[in-house]
Amino acid sequence: MADVPAIEAVDLVRTYRTHTGVIRRRPLTVEAVRGVSFEVRPGELFGLLGPNGAGKTTTIKMLITLLLPTSGTARVMGFDVARDTTAVRQRIGYVFGGDRGLYDRVSGLDNLRYFAELYGVEPSEQRRRIAALLELVGLTGRENEKVEGYSRGMRQRLHIARGLLHDPEVIFMDEPSIGLDPVGARELRQTVRSLVDAGKTVLLTTHYMFEADALCDRIAVINSGRIVALGTGADLKDRIASRTIVEIETFGVTDDAVERLRQDHEVSAINMEEREQSQILFVQSDRGAHITQRLLSLLGDTRVGKVVSREPTLEDAYLHLIATTGDDEARAARAASVQ
Amino acid sequence: MSARRTLRLIWFVTWFNVRMLLVSEFFILNAFIAPLIFATLGFFLFRSGGGTAGHTLLYVALGAGMMGVWSTTIFGCGGAIAWQRWEGTLELLVNAPSRYDFILVGQTLGAVVFGFYGILATLAWGVLLFGMPIEATYPLILPLSLLAAIVSLASLGMLIATTFVLYRHASALSNMLEYPIWLIAGLLVPVATLPFWVRPMSWLLAPTWGMEAIRGAAIGTEPPFLAIVLCFALAVVYYLAARLTLVFVLAKARRDATLSLQ
Repeated sequence: MADVPAIEAVDLVRTYRTHTGVIRRRPLTVEAVRGVSFEVRPGELFGLLGPNGAGKTTTIKMLITLLLPTSGTARVMGFDVARDTTAVRQRIGYVFGGDRGLYDRVSGLDNLRYFAELYGVEPSEQRRRIAALLELVGLTGRENEKVEGYSRGMRQRLHIARGLLHDPEVIFMDEPSIGLDPVGARELRQTVRSLVDAGKTVLLTTHYMFEADALCDRIAVINSGRIVALGTGADLKDRIASRTIVEIETFGVTDDAVERLRQDHEVSAINMEEREQSQILFVQSDRGAHITQRLLSLLGDTRVGKVVSREPTLEDAYLHLIATTGDDEARAARAASVQ
Repeated sequence: MSARRTLRLIWFVTWFNVRMLLVSEFFILNAFIAPLIFATLGFFLFRSGGGTAGHTLLYVALGAGMMGVWSTTIFGCGGAIAWQRWEGTLELLVNAPSRYDFILVGQTLGAVVFGFYGILATLAWGVLLFGMPIEATYPLILPLSLLAAIVSLASLGMLIATTFVLYRHASALSNMLEYPIWLIAGLLVPVATLPFWVRPMSWLLAPTWGMEAIRGAAIGTEPPFLAIVLCFALAVVYYLAARLTLVFVLAKARRDATLSLQ
């Protein structure tokens, strides 16, 4: 069994059929996942990174047997997710981010006792197991309170405890830190790390690059339903290691000015982040900091604040990957699928 | 899963569901207040029609109680699944390692058991406000009749609930299925007064025999053994039909992604 991957996905495809329009309803086929393949080794912490709608949750839902793949195969601990559903479910735990998935009107302890029963935890084990998990997620002393009074962080920690009740070998976490405050998110990362230290395999999706960088052994970047890069955080950073990132703080930059930068032959990629009063342009270039003056002149009359030149981070690598893959393709695929 | 574990699971889910219903204002109104309103209307209707004999009042009280039980069952099954889909727990239940049909049995049993308060309430209401005499022709058979009625209602509720798993808006069916079953199963008026072409439908509905079993034990002229046997037989048929439906429904739900709202 040592050679068996904990998770193995081969050419996974998932399409959804839906409709557009109210009076003249037209069928629409949306390809959420388009041929995803990867392997996760036992004991590995694997990150799935991608923007909203990239196919992360759909991929996870196929792996945890909630959705049938349209084509392709996937195995968890050697069991096929389409056919061997019970065997897979006995070996996996999953945690979805957000407020949903708990019984609000009863206590956290009642939630855990209920799910312990559904997950087949031996009655003699339940009390000890629940106490240990409450301790692990830091809810000891709060377990008798109704869940509707829990903060978002407490709910998320209760989700994790629920997902671990039957001591699963593989744990899927879909954006578990979404909506958590920085302290809660840091505690969550510590919990995730302790699970991997205890020998669990974890597949984690997240929006936060630093989280993926700090936690994951390997990261797959998914965009428009396809894996566009796979490797360690360092591997991904190496893809743009020769580049320099110039961060330019602007005030009221116009689309035309951004387009002028984008069209420049020495600019490899550009991303913009809106702040309250300003916009930050992240310009990637192979020309090093020498390009800064040229960029400023291309901005014309735009008011410019702070300008910083720095080494690329994983976030830059991610933004570069997302900017250079998928979007046009996805639009074309979506348009072509209207039957 | 061993038989002992299965029974424990069903008991636990039943108990949990009763607790969940106890904290729902809608269900408290449905199960605690609605049967009393039905019974009051029934008592006045029968009184104005001249039917004031003790047996008639008891007939009305039991029927009104069962109407409340059916309402709680249908909303407890359909409404609960719609609510679970809304709060995101339906995926967790369907995807648990335990068999989902056992979980559904526990949920429907919980709704029916919760609803059976309605029968006790309408009896007490009849005694206190309308001077209805409490008596049972076959008091020893009555508990068996009640059990048969619980099983019959739960099995029909479970069969209907399987479709609620599949369709996001299936809980709208709850409303459609409430009144027709009251009528067809003889809870409101005797089956014998229904048009002859409706009666075969009544005979196929386990609640018809559940009602028959309870009324037979309370005010009948002979022991309702046939009704009790038919309750259990139909319950087995419903359960097997529900299991077969669930296999199809769960496969379709995985194919069509209908278990969650996201």
